[in-house]
Parts: sequence; structure tokens; C-alpha cells
Amino acid sequence: MTRKYTEELERGYTALTVMEEAQRCLLCHDAPCTQACPAGTDPGRFIRSVRFRNFKGAAETIRENNALGAICARVCPTERYCQKGCSRCGIDKPIDIGGIQRFVTDFEAQTGMEILKAGPENGLTVAIVGSGPSALQAAATLRALGYGVEIFEAQEKAGGYLRYGIPEYRLPEAVLEHELSLIEKLGVKFQFKTKVGQDISLAELKERYAAVLLAIGASQAKMLDLFRDNDRVESAVSFLARVRQNHGQIDLPSNVLVIGGGDVAMDVSTTLKMLGVKNVTDVVYEEFCEFLASEKELRGAQELGVTIIDGYVPTECREGVVTFKHRHIDSQLTITVEKIILAVGQQVEAANLELPLVKNEVEFEGYQADTKVFVTGDIAHGDKTVVWAVKKGREAAMAIHQSLGGKA
Amino acid sequence: MINKDLSVEFLGVHFENPFCLSSSPVGNCYDMCKKAYDCGWGGVVFKTIGPKHFLIDEVSPRFDALTKEATPFVGFKNMEQIAEHSLEENLADLRRLKAEYPHKVLIASIMGTNEEDWTELARLVEEAGADMIEMNLSCPQMTSHAMGSDVGANPELCKKYCAAVKRGSKLPMLAKMTPNITDMVPVAKACLEGGADGIAAINTIKSIVNLDLQRYIGLPIINGKSSISGYSGKAVKPVALRFIQQLRSGIKDLPISGIGGIETWEDAAEFILLGATTLQVTTSIMQYGYRVVEDMKNGLMHYMEEQGVDRLQDLVGRANPNLIPAEELDRDYIVYPKIDEEKCIGCGRCYISCYDGAHQAMIWNEAKRRPDCDHEKCVGCHLCLLVCPVKAISAGEVVMKPGRQGDPASKVI
Ligand SMILES: Cc1cc2nc3c(=O)[nH]c(=O)nc-3n(C[C@H](O)[C@H](O)[C@H](O)COP(=O)(O)OP(=O)(O)OC[C@H]3O[C@@H](n4cnc5c(N)ncnc54)[C@H](O)[C@@H]3O)c2cc1C
Ligand SMILES: Cc1cc2nc3c(=O)[nH]c(=O)nc-3n(C[C@H](O)[C@H](O)[C@H](O)COP(=O)(O)O)c2cc1C
Ligand code: SF4
Ligand code: SF4
Ligand code: SF4
Repeated sequence: MTRKYTEELERGYTALTVMEEAQRCLLCHDAPCTQACPAGTDPGRFIRSVRFRNFKGAAETIRENNALGAICARVCPTERYCQKGCSRCGIDKPIDIGGIQRFVTDFEAQTGMEILKAGPENGLTVAIVGSGPSALQAAATLRALGYGVEIFEAQEKAGGYLRYGIPEYRLPEAVLEHELSLIEKLGVKFQFKTKVGQDISLAELKERYAAVLLAIGASQAKMLDLFRDNDRVESAVSFLARVRQNHGQIDLPSNVLVIGGGDVAMDVSTTLKMLGVKNVTDVVYEEFCEFLASEKELRGAQELGVTIIDGYVPTECREGVVTFKHRHIDSQLTITVEKIILAVGQQVEAANLELPLVKNEVEFEGYQADTKVFVTGDIAHGDKTVVWAVKKGREAAMAIHQSLGGKA
Repeated sequence: MINKDLSVEFLGVHFENPFCLSSSPVGNCYDMCKKAYDCGWGGVVFKTIGPKHFLIDEVSPRFDALTKEATPFVGFKNMEQIAEHSLEENLADLRRLKAEYPHKVLIASIMGTNEEDWTELARLVEEAGADMIEMNLSCPQMTSHAMGSDVGANPELCKKYCAAVKRGSKLPMLAKMTPNITDMVPVAKACLEGGADGIAAINTIKSIVNLDLQRYIGLPIINGKSSISGYSGKAVKPVALRFIQQLRSGIKDLPISGIGGIETWEDAAEFILLGATTLQVTTSIMQYGYRVVEDMKNGLMHYMEEQGVDRLQDLVGRANPNLIPAEELDRDYIVYPKIDEEKCIGCGRCYISCYDGAHQAMIWNEAKRRPDCDHEKCVGCHLCLLVCPVKAISAGEVVMKPGRQGDPASKVI
């Protein structure tokens, strides 16, 4: 099976097939799907609009509740959120909410709808540090409330892990660019290659802006001591960013070991396979019954022929020779590879940003760090997913609005 | 969210939007109408109120539905008569609704057994605060032949009762038509002569929807028997649209409240384009709830935006001139089907339908599993377009029939 890294893996619905899926929806009272969407995207409402042939209205519902509707449609772990409690499970399987959302947002893009609007200017400007999903949603919400928004981003381009993490076959470049263009059109200004705490100080931002929102995410890879200073070792996020920036055009050996069992490890393994690496072995600490990766991602990796070995911990690494021990039984495994990719989690890097961090989260509840500084995204409490970043982005924007005298 | 003015003026009454509950259980009492108004409906036609002396005694069960494959409620059958609540209760509900929703439209549907009844009911509902009266001349399952569609099929009686209503009330008045006749125009004209200001159409169509095959009884079964009764919902839309078109071509600029199978904004737009100014809905509410109005309103706003129209009224009747008698249609050309081989998935349905239901013009390439159209045989009926599951077939080349004059490129297809 050959699949292209730059081509979307999942096939989208057509105007005909989306009606078939929407017709499976039971149009529930108090729709459980709507209650379960962290960002309040309101699937019960937009599926009903599709069902009654009002695609434009469906697009309005999605976009007004979720400035990254087309992205969430593709990357949301729906089985954990909206689809989890779907009433249709009482008959067979949940409605493919992400798929319907994708159809509607594609329709929105094709018809050139511009649903998000900026509010009348209120004269105040907010600085946002980082340009990941939480920053982008916060920017859209703040613009709607009439605030000026200036984004400071350390990288060359906007998007955070939407650009430098999630692979293109799951989130095509064109979709990301379109979502970004909608937010840019609201009048959000971007300053790239500017690392706050290094190129410009937090103090300066606090002085220049009405408020500062830190949306810096967990942008640094975690390392295991065993693998330090080994030039065959690369972190998952560094690898994924490299592939993405080069649209898949990178050189790779034929035998790669991946360590980790979350979605990021699945992304790495699947990407390697798509790029033509012959032997991809993923060794995972968790056993299958306690797996962290979503079923969909795990299935995707397995379908492409990734060898997944569960329940092993690495105990020794010399160059390309890695030894593992099983966590519960007496079993040892030695693998010799040309390259090792570590997908063992990410951590927050917040030098000079005066953040009280515990386990990669701020230690306080809510979004306000001090009178002028707010936090959102992965560094705030809550799930570390795009849809939660959207939820937190909007809530943090509302918190800023309230602290500046606006009404909820 | 788009926001456009959907308001219309109809018989001198201002509707904030054209969407109304049609007279039926969906507008049976105060609480229901209140919820409907709060959901955004522009008006309510309250469940038909009858005279005090006519006792309502309903059957149980009283509904059935036609299904096709997995689609429930293609059409809906009911055996219900008019309001079950007492006259006093109904009038009290009207009063309370008007007091609490002065800007929403309240229409009282009434039905009498004789002239005195009609006059008296008209007087009572006006007194209770209704903005408009709708005469129910059309319920097909009344237990009295002096009521319902038997009356609605008789122009003389209709005229007499319309005049009776006008004696009781000065309110603008709609006469609600039965589709259980061949030509609605003479009845509508009689109603206008009697004093009606506009026409509501259609009420339900007499029907038998399903039978119990083991016991040889129509559904629903009422102690071993069933009756012919009214059919509504999506399946009746084509019939309703046809009557509305005929009314508009028979009576110029006739004010119409359109009813029958409205479920989506597209259905609503069709009724408007054929001449309805306001719209009434029952079956889709019974199936899905008052919330259906949200997408009807929003979708209609987007449609107006696409059409570049700011007043909904400007769309009323726009399609009327484009429906002409069959003998006036241009019969000089054929439109051949065009097959998109990329889109085609090789199911062969077009082949089957063309062979068994058209003109044996689709040739089936067994090796390729793809169809090909033989223009020698094809008559351009487009059955194949309709059956293709992936819309791989579209209207293609236009050619003049042998011996006919004209420019194929000028044809609006
Ligand atoms: C490989 C991978 C795959 C994932 N797949 C999914 C998925 O399928 N579904 C899902 O829901 N979630 C997924 N996630 C998680 C999701 O991407 C994150 O939860 C989300 O991106 C967090 O958003 P954020 O706004 O907090 O910031 P991030 O996306 O982390 O972005 C932070 C941004 O801030 C910038 N920044 C950091 N420090 C500074 C500074 N000092 N000055 C200026 N800029 C700075 C960074 O350069 C970066 O652009 C995935 C994550 C990874 C790594
Ligand atoms: C259960 C039921 C009861 C009805 N009762 C009345 C009635 O009391 N008065 C009346 O004028 N029409 C009555 N109707 C007809 C509807 O008002 C409407 O004309 C018809 O159902 C077609 O519209 P629809 O397809 O939207 O349902 C009734 C219809 C149904 C389904
Ligand atoms: S829970 Fe499932 S069936 Fe119910 S409205 Fe949501 S998507 Fe439809
Ligand atoms: S248009 Fe009619 S006759 Fe021609 S190929 Fe299609 S089904 Fe056959
Ligand atoms: S019906 Fe459509 S998909 Fe099926 S064979 Fe004909 S053209 Fe192809």
C-alpha cells in the first residue's frame, strides 16, 4: 500500500454521502454529542442543519463556535469527545461527526464564506505569545470583541503543533493555511521569529499592551537519560517538524526504531512508513490494554505495517543497539537500528516568562497569572488537545475581556 | 450568523417571518403555541375550533406513516378531527397568547356545521384577539358530512359559509382548501365571492397508507377496522405545489398561504416562488419538533442573499410564469446524457433503468463495467441521470430533432 504523505489519508464525504451519514443521526433531544464537545462546536445543531439541507447555516454554527472548525474536524479524537456518548451507539456505531464537520467546513471554504467578523475597535490591544490553536482562537475571540491583537511567534510561521507537529496526511497544509487566512483577515498581526523572553522581554510586552496572553504550549521534547548524546537519536517533534517543513522530502534509513505509545508515536511510525521506510518498529511501555494512542491512530499505523511491541522498557542503549525488558515477564529484547526516534512526551520551555509551572502546567486554576498576564492552551489546566486549546483560547480571551472591564 | 429581514405583509397583517404552524395538534394549546413562538415561528394557526354542540370523539391510535427503504415518514396519515379542547378553553388560550405575544400573528381556524355556527365562531375568535381567521373547509375525516372536505368540494356551500363568517367578523380571512378535488379554482373563486381574502392550501389528501397483510385491515387498526383519511408530509409537497400554481394561474395575484410537506428552506422557497406569501407546517414539526424552523429561516436568509433579494415578498410568484401548459413547451430538441467515466463507479443502474424503463440506449461494456450512450436510440429522457447514485451523468449535448429549426445553444436546459 503506498500512500502519499502530503495527501489526506481519509476520504471526505460528497454532498450525497454526507446526507446518508447525517440521516443516521437521531437528532437527539439534549444532544449528547453537543454536550460532549469541549469547544461547544454544537454537532447536534450543525448535523441537523445538514439534515435539513442548510449547509451554510451548518458552517455558521461550526465557525462561530470554533475558529478552527476545519482543523478540529480532522484532528479531534472524537471517540473521546463528541462521539463518545452518541445515542446512535444504541443501534450500531456513532455518527461520524468529524467527517460531517469536515464536509461542511470544506463547503464553507469552497463557497468562500467569511463567517468570522471583527467587532468595532475598542482601542485596546492584546499581545499573544505563541500562535498555536489556543492563540488563534483567542485572537479570533478578542478581535470579535474589538481588541487589537498582535501575535509574537518564535518560529517562522504560525500554527504551533498544527504546523510543526501533526503530519500533513492528517492535516493538509491547504486546510491550515485557509484557517489561518480567515483569522488574518480579522486584522490579527503576526510577528515571527520573535521569542519572548529572549528577543523581547515579557516586561516590555506588559508595558506596551493592555494584556499579555501566554500560549507557548509544550514545545520542547522530553529526553530519556539512556539516549542522551547519541547522534542516531532524534525527538519525535523535531522529526515531525522536519518532515512537514520539507513536505516529506527527507532522507531516511531503512530500519527505524520508535519509542513511545501515544498518538505522537503513532504519527511518527505512520509517517515513516508513508515515506517508504521498510522496517519501522515501535516499542511501547504500555501494554495494548492500557494503550494511550487513539484506536484510529493505532489502526492506521498497523495497517501500514508498523511492528508494534507492547509492554517493554528500554534498559540499555549503545549506538544503534537498544535493549528492552518486559515490564512483567522475564523477557528481553535487543534491536539494532540505524535511527531511533523518541516519542516520550513534550515539556514546557518558559525561560524568563516567570511562570509557576508544575508538571508542565501552571499551578493555578483558571487563566490569569497576574494583573496583566494570562495563560492558555497546553500550559493551562485541562486536556492537551487542539479542541481543548480552542476552548481554553476562547475562555482566556473572555477572562482578559472581563479583567479589562468588559462584560462576560 | 446571517441576519436578513424575513417579514412579509399578508392580508394586511405583518408577519415577522412567513413560517406558521398549520392548524393541527402542533398548535393545540397555549403551552405549545408559546413554545413555538419562542422557537421563532412567525405565526400560529390554532387547532381548528368547532361549535360547542359538535362533540369530538377521537379514535386510538390515529396515525400511520409511509416509509421507503430506511426513510420514515415519507408521508403521514392521520385520522384526527378538530380541537378536542372545549370552546371556552380554546378561546381562553387565544386570549392569553395574544396578550403575551402581541407582535406574533395569531390565526384562528374555525369550522361550523351551518351558517349560524360559522358566524358565531368568527365573532368569538375575533373577540378573543385573533389577527386572522382561517376557515377549515377541508378536513377529510369529519364524522359529519356537513363539515370538512365534503363542504370544501362544494363551491356554493363554501361561498355561503364564507359570507357567514364575514357577518361575524371583520378580520382578514383565509379559506383552507381540500386537495380532494380535480380543480381548486372554482371553489377558491366561490370563497372569494363569499368574502374570503385569501386561500390556504392544501389540507390533507384522502388516503390508505398501509395494510396489515395478515388481518386484511388498513392501518391504523381501530377495533379491526380502518378508514380512508388525510395524508400529509413530504410526499404531498408536489401535489400542494401543483394546486398553488393552478390557483395562481387561475386567479391573478391570489394571496396564498402555502401548506403541504414543508420541511426545509428549499421546500419553503419553492412554495414562495410559486406564489405563497406565508407558509404553514405540521408533519415535519410532528416528526422533528418546532426547531425545524431554525434551519428554514436561516437557509431562506442565505437563499435571499444568494439571489440578491432584500424583501422576501419580491420572490413571491417568481416561478409562476415559467410553468406553462404542456402544449406550449418547446419539443424541438433532445438533450443527450453525458457520462463522466471518472465519477462512474460501475454499478450499471443506468443500464438497467434505460433498458427496462426507457429506450435501451445505454450500452453496457462488460469488460470495463462502464456505460455508453447510443445516440441513435437515446430519446433524452434523463431517467439515467436520476438513478445514477453518484451523479456521474449530467445533461450533455443539445441537438435539434430532425427537420426542426433553431439554435441548440440558445436552449435553456
Ligand atoms: C505530533 C503531535 C500530534 C498531535 N496530534 C493531535 C491530534 O491529532 N489531535 C489533537 O487534538 N491534538 C494533537 N496534538 C496536541 C495539540 O497539538 C496540542 O494540544 C496543541 O497544539 C496545543 O496548543 P497550544 O496553543 O497550547 O500551543 P502549541 O501548538 O504547542 O503552540 C505553541 C506555540 O508557541 C510558540 N512559542 C513557544 N514559546 C514561545 C516564546 N517564548 N515566544 C514566542 N513563541 C513561543 C511555539 O513556537 C509554538 O508555535 C498533537 C501534538 C503533537 C506534538
Ligand atoms: C394530525 C393532523 C391533524 C390535523 N388537523 C387539522 C385541523 O384541525 N385543521 C386543519 O385545518 N388542518 C388540519 N390538519 C392539516 C394540516 O394543517 C396541513 O394542512 C396538512 O397536514 C399538510 O401540511 P404538512 O404536510 O406540513 O403536514 C391536520 C394534519 C395532521 C397531520
Ligand atoms: S448524539 Fe449522535 S445521534 Fe444524537 S444528535 Fe448527536 S450525533 Fe446525532
Ligand atoms: S436519456 Fe433516457 S434514453 Fe437516453 S440513455 Fe438515458 S435513460 Fe436511456
Ligand atoms: S448509474 Fe452512474 S455509477 Fe452506475 S454505471 Fe451508470 S453512470 Fe456509472
